[in-house]
Amino acid sequence: MSDEKKPNDRRSFLLQAGLAGVASLTSVALPAGASTPDTALIAKTEPAARSFHSLGPEEAAFIEALVNIMCPADQFTPNGVDCGLAIYIDRQLAGPYGQGDGRYQSGPFKQGKPELGLQLPLTPEQFCKAGIAAVNLACKRDNGATFDQLAPAAAQAVLEKIEDGRMTDPRLPLASWFNDIIYALFIEACFADPMYGGNRDAVFWKMIGYPGLPATHTIDMVRYRGKPYPGAQNPKSIGDFS
Amino acid sequence: MAKRLPHRRVVIVGGGLCAALISRQLTAQGVDVLVLERGIDHANGPAARLPSQRDELRWAQRQGLMQNWQRETYTLRHTRHEESLPVRWMGAFLPGEGVGGAASHWNGQTWRWSEYDPALRTRYETRYGKSAIPKEMPLQDWGTTYAELEPYHDLFEKLFGLSGKAGNIEGLIQAGGNPFEAPRRDEYPQRPLEITEAGIIFKAATESLGYRPFPGPAANSSGTYLNPDGQRLGPCQYCGHCERFLCEAHAKATPDGLLYPLLRTRKSFEIRTHAQVLHIDYDRQAKRALGVRYLDLESGEEYQQPADIVVLAAFTMSNTRLLLLSGIGASYDPTARHGVVGKNFCYQTQSGVGLFFRNRWINPFLAAGCTLTAIDEYNNDNFDHSALPFLGGANISAGVTNGRPIRSRSTPSGTPRWGTEWKKANAEWYAHSCGVGAQGSCYPHVENYLDLDPVYRDIYGLPLLRMTFDFRENEVKMSRWVTEKVGEICKAMAPDIMGPVKGLQGPFDSRVYQSTHVTGGTVMGADPRSSVVSTHLQHWDAENLFVVGASVYPHNSGYNPTGPLAALALRLGDDLVRYSSRPRQL
Ligand SMILES: Cc1cc2nc3c(=O)[nH]c(=O)nc-3n(C[C@H](O)[C@H](O)[C@H](O)COP(=O)(O)OP(=O)(O)OC[C@H]3O[C@@H](n4cnc5c(N)ncnc54)[C@H](O)[C@@H]3O)c2cc1C
Repeated sequence: MSDEKKPNDRRSFLLQAGLAGVASLTSVALPAGASTPDTALIAKTEPAARSFHSLGPEEAAFIEALVNIMCPADQFTPNGVDCGLAIYIDRQLAGPYGQGDGRYQSGPFKQGKPELGLQLPLTPEQFCKAGIAAVNLACKRDNGATFDQLAPAAAQAVLEKIEDGRMTDPRLPLASWFNDIIYALFIEACFADPMYGGNRDAVFWKMIGYPGLPATHTIDMVRYRGKPYPGAQNPKSIGDFS
Repeated sequence: MAKRLPHRRVVIVGGGLCAALISRQLTAQGVDVLVLERGIDHANGPAARLPSQRDELRWAQRQGLMQNWQRETYTLRHTRHEESLPVRWMGAFLPGEGVGGAASHWNGQTWRWSEYDPALRTRYETRYGKSAIPKEMPLQDWGTTYAELEPYHDLFEKLFGLSGKAGNIEGLIQAGGNPFEAPRRDEYPQRPLEITEAGIIFKAATESLGYRPFPGPAANSSGTYLNPDGQRLGPCQYCGHCERFLCEAHAKATPDGLLYPLLRTRKSFEIRTHAQVLHIDYDRQAKRALGVRYLDLESGEEYQQPADIVVLAAFTMSNTRLLLLSGIGASYDPTARHGVVGKNFCYQTQSGVGLFFRNRWINPFLAAGCTLTAIDEYNNDNFDHSALPFLGGANISAGVTNGRPIRSRSTPSGTPRWGTEWKKANAEWYAHSCGVGAQGSCYPHVENYLDLDPVYRDIYGLPLLRMTFDFRENEVKMSRWVTEKVGEICKAMAPDIMGPVKGLQGPFDSRVYQSTHVTGGTVMGADPRSSVVSTHLQHWDAENLFVVGASVYPHNSGYNPTGPLAALALRLGDDLVRYSSRPRQL
């Protein structure tokens, strides 16, 4: 186990250094002005943007490992952590969404058909964390290590098992945990406005060619109908107009 | 306990579209009107300003302008033999909250329904015989006709400056418009919106198949427009932030943009925000509404607001719920087939097929709430049902309304849900995909209804409204059949990849947005035994109580709902001017 390649080197370094969740390794460790897009992004990352509001160290390690599996560094984007995806999830869990804002929370709590929606008494933050703990427990049982310690292929296999309901927990609906909470947050982390902490430098908007703001397209509508839209290469976000 | 306020002539519950239209008619004649709206005025807030307006997470995902489910949600079960549970976060439909109601953040697709819709039972019985309508489908005529409503459609369309192409002017079919359109007196106030790339492909394909495509009628302004009240619309920016968003460009026609600003200049008009109406006070002996009780959500104070005339214009769900909470009219009982409040609850039957074109730039972000190109050959009863096992049909359209990246990306089926392959598919297809949708009718079923939930309550301690609803056999069969037609059209569009051709399948899923087109519950009709309100929308059990909105529809058509309900609201405004000077059974 121990000689398996760890998907999250940052975490192991931070644990050794006793710094988990406090400081950013990458922002100091990489040469400033490095020219690949990945490192350019990382170099910009401020230390404060790598500390967590909701997630504890083990939870942060889990989410960072997860977003790096779901969003590996490749020709399209840097890895999930460097895209800000873990920070996005953390901020959402700490904020109104995570605290159950706008969600009907009165009892009695009974389980029913999936089409009636989630029925747990947990807030999304609590559900997210309970799921992390349950998956880590299952990973320890099945693989002898927590999720963040798994090799990428093993971690991917775990996610697939959870997604289609093959990994179960006596207390928590894990498939729903993944599909309703984790996956939804992952998608938002990639595609919401960068001001929420994910989609750093609008990297996912660039990837798909979504031009972002200000979106006043009265003339474009005719000029670029059926043609590539030049603004798609250089998307603008709320921060660019604030 | 509740503090009693000075008496008012007309009190309207809900400050959305219908309330604004009724108020326009009444206050033009100087009749005193008070509107009570539970939400706030969003007009000068972040929802209506750049750049914060363009925030998909805040307004679309987190439903920043919608009903707060923590305070009040609905419970659901698919059949009355199941236990209902509260929908803790509603995805399927999104009632609005705040001045302008859901119409402040609607798309603006503004249809007149089929000419025969108000007399649908008669239509089907005449065309297919008395036994054509299944026993468990309580279709009923509205007791009014399209011809009676036409002047009000006309007025509404001029107030909202619709962009479109007429298909039927006083019976003469117009090239380029919808040949199945109910006859209208003249052209749309403005030329149609620009067509999208998807619309161009759809138009060519449907024409090659012999259909007659047309641009969808739009309350997104194609140009600058001055309405008959002197209110202005600016040209649409095709910004792709329309449905679920306010329009900072004043290009989407909304009550908050066009009607409330005018009303606020009229002396006999008042709107109170933060006013959560809890109850209609009702004198059972005299069969009269006495006024309403509401909670001031700023001060926490409860008020009793007496009125001569009470109008419910609080959207389908609140209209029905307030009648049930106040015990006005008999609650529908499906076992005994008795009672009327809550019956004929319908939704909208939606399906669609995804398309992917390697060499066509769809650019979904260049779009407006109403940029759709449609055909109506298979809508409602526009085609012969005599050999078909269902009634009703659907409007078929290539509607591209936005390319907002959280919700509106699609990838070919079989694409992994994350990882490099997932990114690759998104990069490849985002600008090159679209869909063809079928927006279908939904007819009433004796087992689909609304009543009060026996267990769950809102934050104020009152029972929640319970939906007993599913798509029944008629709708499932209709959807399967029409979606096959969609599939044929999609093939003719010659995409590189085409998604599965599947009609709508139950069970009704509260998690997935389908449309905010919930109808029925307080249906209109000529017979008090089968309707809650008369053909003039007057409550059968309280002469001075009126109900308006999609809740009065006895069925749902294959169109978005707002055109006819706006016409009904304007007509009600005129009726109330007369009623106010001489109260009587209208
Ligand atoms: C995203 C979206 C897109 C849509 N697109 C279209 C479209 O393209 N075409 C179309 O035809 N229709 C569309 N609709 C539907 C359309 O918005 C409604 O049909 C229309 O707004 C109904 O008008 P109304 O006056 O009945 O209700 P609303 O305009 O919703 O007004 C009702 C008001 O009542 C208030 N209220 C409710 N309960 C209470 C209470 N107890 N006390 C006080 N106030 C209360 C609400 O806060 C709300 O402001 C869309 C809706 C949504 C949400």
